[in-house]
Order: sequence, then C-alpha cells, then structure tokens
Amino acid sequence: MVTPSPEVLALLEATFDAVVIMDDRGRIQAFNAAAEEMFGYRAADALGRNVSMLMTGNDRLQHDNHLKRYLADGEARILGKGRDVRVRHRDGSEFSVFLSVGLIPNTAPPQFVGFLHDTSLRRKALATLEKERQLNRLYLDLAQVMLVATNRDGVVQLVNQRAIRVLGKLEARIVGQNWIDSCVAPQDRTAARNAFRTLLLGSNDQPQSCEYHVRSADGENRFITWRGVALRDPANVTTGVMLSGEDITDQRRAESEAHKALERMNSVARLATMGEMAAGISHELNQPLAAIANYGQACVRMLRLPKPDMPEISGALEQISVQALRAGEIIRRIRSLVRNEDVRRESQHINDLIREVHALLASDARVHDGKLALDLAEPLPKVTVDGVQIQQVLMNLVHNAFEAQATEKRGDRLTPDRNSATFEVRIATRPTDGGDVEVSVSDFGPGLERDAEQKIFEPFFTTKATGTGLGLAISRSIIKAHDARLGYRANQPRGACFYFVLPAHQETAR
Amino acid sequence: MKDLPQAVFVVDDDDAVRDSLKLLLKSAGISSEVFASAQEFLAVYDAAQPGCLVLDVRMPGMSGLEMQHELNLRGAMIPVIFITGHGDIPMAVEAMQHGAFDFLQKPFRDVELLDRVHRALARDTETRARLRHTDRIRERLASLSPREREVLDLVTQGKANKMVAGDLGVSQRTVEIHRAHVMQKMEAGSLAELVRMMMAVAP
Repeated sequence: MVTPSPEVLALLEATFDAVVIMDDRGRIQAFNAAAEEMFGYRAADALGRNVSMLMTGNDRLQHDNHLKRYLADGEARILGKGRDVRVRHRDGSEFSVFLSVGLIPNTAPPQFVGFLHDTSLRRKALATLEKERQLNRLYLDLAQVMLVATNRDGVVQLVNQRAIRVLGKLEARIVGQNWIDSCVAPQDRTAARNAFRTLLLGSNDQPQSCEYHVRSADGENRFITWRGVALRDPANVTTGVMLSGEDITDQRRAESEAHKALERMNSVARLATMGEMAAGISHELNQPLAAIANYGQACVRMLRLPKPDMPEISGALEQISVQALRAGEIIRRIRSLVRNEDVRRESQHINDLIREVHALLASDARVHDGKLALDLAEPLPKVTVDGVQIQQVLMNLVHNAFEAQATEKRGDRLTPDRNSATFEVRIATRPTDGGDVEVSVSDFGPGLERDAEQKIFEPFFTTKATGTGLGLAISRSIIKAHDARLGYRANQPRGACFYFVLPAHQETAR
Repeated sequence: MKDLPQAVFVVDDDDAVRDSLKLLLKSAGISSEVFASAQEFLAVYDAAQPGCLVLDVRMPGMSGLEMQHELNLRGAMIPVIFITGHGDIPMAVEAMQHGAFDFLQKPFRDVELLDRVHRALARDTETRARLRHTDRIRERLASLSPREREVLDLVTQGKANKMVAGDLGVSQRTVEIHRAHVMQKMEAGSLAELVRMMMAVAP
C-alpha cells in the first residue's frame, strides 16, 4: 500500500468530490473526507476493502470481472469517460453520483482514482434554484401591475403576464425589443423617453412616477400610470430600469362615466322637480293669459254695442297690460330658475334671492292649498353664493315641506271647513352668533321619524310615494359646495326644519 | 210655483280671472255673481236657485272638485262648467263622472265659454221643468182612490175595460166610471197621454 504524498492528501481533503483510490484488485487505498461524508464509512474502515461495497446492482457483481478484463486486454469501459452510477451508502440507501475514473500513471501494479460527484445534491440545488426562479416568476405573474425590466438601452429583458395581457402580444415579441419603440403609443413616446432618461440619470433610488399610453397589439391605447426604479449592479452602475405600471384606462373611463351619471342624475332630479312643478307653473301662467283673453274678448264685444261704455273698456284694456306683465314676470322667474348657466358665485343678499323665488314657490303653495310665509331678518351680511343653485335648494325644501303636510292630510280631504292656516311653510333668515347667515325652511307637518332622520340625505332614499330620492342629496351637495352644511332639526311645536348656514361675505359685511 | 230668474255664478280664486269673466259675461248680456272661494259660494247658495256655475278646479281651501262633491251631497243639480289652468285627463274624467256639464282649459275663446253657459242654462231650465212636471204627476196620482189607482194600473197595462172588470170582479160599467175619474184627476186627454205620464214617474 502506497501512502500518498502530503500534497496529494491535502488535495484529497480539500476537494468537495468524494475521491477513492483503489489498487489492481479493487481494494480501497485512499478514502477522502468527502467520501466519508458521502458513504458513511470512516476511511479507516474503508481502506483495504473491496470498492464494490460502494456499488449497487450489476456494477457490484461485475466490478471484479471488469477490472480483470481491463487488466487483461486494456478494454476500457469507464476509464476517462465518466457516467452516472447508483451507489450504496453504508446504511444501505442508494443514490446517484457522477463517477469518473482515471488510471494513476506510473503505478505498478496499476492504481485507479475515482471521483464521485454527488449529482443528487447538484440536482437538488438545481431544483431549488429552479423553484426559486419559478416562484419569482409567479410573483411577477401574480402581480396585478405590469412589470417590465429593460436594459440601459431600453431593450426589454423581462415582462410579466399582466403586461403581456395588457399589451396583447407574445412574450417573445416584447422581450428583446425596444420598449418605447415597440410598446409605447406614438404620441407618448417623447414623454416616455424623457421619463426613461430621468430614471437612468437619476442619482437617488426613489421611484419615479409618470403616466403614458401603451399601444396593444390590436391598436388599442391603454392608459398606464407607471412607477420606475433604476436597476444597479453591485458596483452601483445603472444597468437598466424596472417599471411597474397600473392600467387605469377602465378606472378613468369609469370615473368619467360616474361623473356623467351624476350629471345625468342631477338633470333628472331637476327635471323631476320641474315636472312636479310644471302643473303649478302652467296653472300660474294660464291665469293671466285667461284674464287677458277674457278682457280682450269682452272689449271687442263691448265696442260692437251701439253705445260702448268707454270707461269700462279702458279699464279692461289696462287690466290686459297688467296681466300681460304678470305673465312676463312669471316667465322671467321660471327662466332664471331652469336655465343651465355655469356656476357663478356672486356676493349678494340672500333675502333678495328668497324673494325672487317666492312667486314660483307661492304657486307650489297654491297647489297644496298652503301658505308660504317669509320671515327675513334685515339687515344681513351678504353671502357669496350661486344664486340659482341656492334657489333650487330652497324650491326643493319648500316643495318637500308642502308634500309632507299634504301626505299627512290626505285622510280628511273632503272636509270643507278644514283649517288651512296651519298648512304653512316658512322660509326664515337670521344672523348667527358668528356673524354668518342661517337660512331655514320649516313646516308644521309630521316631521321626521328617527329612522328617516338618519337616511334622508342618502341618494335614492325617499319617504314620498313618487319621490326620486335625489332632491335632498343634491341639495346637500350644493350646500356643501358652498362650504356649508344642510342640517335637519325638529321644528317647534311640530314639523320639520331644514337649515344651512352660509358664511358671510368678508369684505362687504355690513 | 214661481220661478226664480236664472243666475250665472263664477267661483275662481284669481282676482283677474274672476273680474275678467264677469266682464266677458256682461259684454254678452249675461249678469253674473262672482265668488273668490268655494266656501264663500256654498255659504250663500240655495239649491232652488236656477242657473249655472263656472268653477275653477284649483283653489286654496277647497278645490272645485271637492265643491262639486259637496253640491251633489246637497242634491243641487246646477250644471257645473269647470275651468282650469292646468287640466289633466284624470282630473277631467273625475269631474265628468260626477256630473260636470263641461270642462274648459284656460285660456279659452269667448264663444266657447258663452256657448257652454247658454247650453248649461238651457239644460238647467229643462231639468227643472222636467222635475216640476213629474212633481205634478205625483201630486195627481196621490189624489186617486185605491180603486181608481188599480184601474189606472190595469188600463195602462193595455187591458180593455171588460178585462179590467173581470180582474177586479166588478161590472164593466163601474170600471168605466172609475176610468173617467182617473182621466179627469190625472188631467189626461187620452190613454196615450196617461201612459206617458206613468213612464215619466216610473222609478
């Protein structure tokens, strides 16, 4: 038995692979630490024993024969080639190794060295690595955002499923292409290039945000909001960028749809309010028209008489003018209420606004057999408001108040001597302690139940059989837009009271 | 029974409409009494007063439709011409179902209104005359003796005197005497007239 030189021993101990040296009869001559680790034998136990004890199956049975044949005719079956073999641990378990065997030169009788590389371990490592890659891929693909990595030149290195889906292209058509030239919508390329340059040149690692459209394979532009970071190697050299993008096309579309729906809702509610009031308005307008027609026709008849009563005719003609002006006034008020002008805030007196709608609201009162009372404090500071909107709110509140009382009354419809004095809605203004202006609309109806009190401002909540449930919600949003709050309190001694406090106009407070 | 002169009543809460209606009617030679509310009118109205009523639908306190209902309860048959600034079909249907004479939408042409007023007044005269006629027939019927009433019922059924005698178990001569009394008391000139009178008061 040859004792290896110290250099060889050191080499044997340092290598990760198991190294086994055997003589011409297959007896183990050297067994390094890695071999001890791999097979579970201590070197002392292994030395001198036949190497076939480490082998399995046919190899184990045939090893001595193979060795003899080689020594006889020099036919190499394994020498210098290396192959995967199954081997046996001391505990009997089998595993795979990659075995390469070499003839040690200048040995007689010849000795052989076998290197056994634990491929199962390598495979395990490979598998782990692969698993990690897949997991990473999964992370990327699970992400609800688009993920795109490019190199310094903007060539796509990696793209996730989300991005692939948004772009509608095969991965192979994205990866390896210039990101901006192949995927960004033409009109946004300059912006995208600038954002890309900023990222590359930027010194900090804070994500940069930008928004631009990408163009999908079917030519559709999708609007994406991006966050990007520069990728750096260990030497802090920028190697590319990573972009994370969220497709907000649908969101934007939904937002704009919602906005449109709200606008439609507003106009529907306004139409509904106007529809409910149309009866009152047309009644109101037809009164002076009927009077004018009657007076005019009476005049014609009287003028045909042999001796016309001129003072009477003159009086009737005068009435015609008066009634025509009355009709014109009604139309003017209606127009100022329904025209769709842009929001215009002006510093004005709230009492003037209230008086302006009074005529139309009075017609509503008439429809409901009620009375609309004004209780306006003077003087009041001016308020900065959109007059038309505030008037709409007042119309809505007064209308609701009359409806509430009418609903309560329906039981005794035909009682001729009912007391209509209590059938009243009151618009009041007063200065608050803080110098602002409170506007309230009160009635003497049933008031609100606690349950309803919670919900009245919610859209589509209504206590009315034919209500849209939008009036109060819209009123509240109008008041809110005026930095005020539409509130409810019980009226004394009974009924409901809606109120809002408008901030006094600063400069012109008097 | 003495007839009161016909009157046209106007009930409308709008001063200008009321005043102009009065003037229009006056220019056509029709005098009218105007009221600003249903209550005001009901307080003074006597159902025996012939005429017609021009009534606004929408009024505070008591609407025109409610006032029509009240008139019906009182048995007042005055024809009602509704006028309205904003008429809808359900409202008009309700008014007509409750016996409205007509329904006009403001503003209207003078001839439309005057024509309806004239026709309503004529209708009222007719109705009242018819009622007076049937009242008189009922008075005459009440003056018949039980036997005379039996004879009347049988002859108006078309039975000859001989058959009536058989039915009642009296002589034909007796029937002839009763029949002569019936014709006299009922002031009927012929059997045909008697039959018509009985039809007028038939329930």
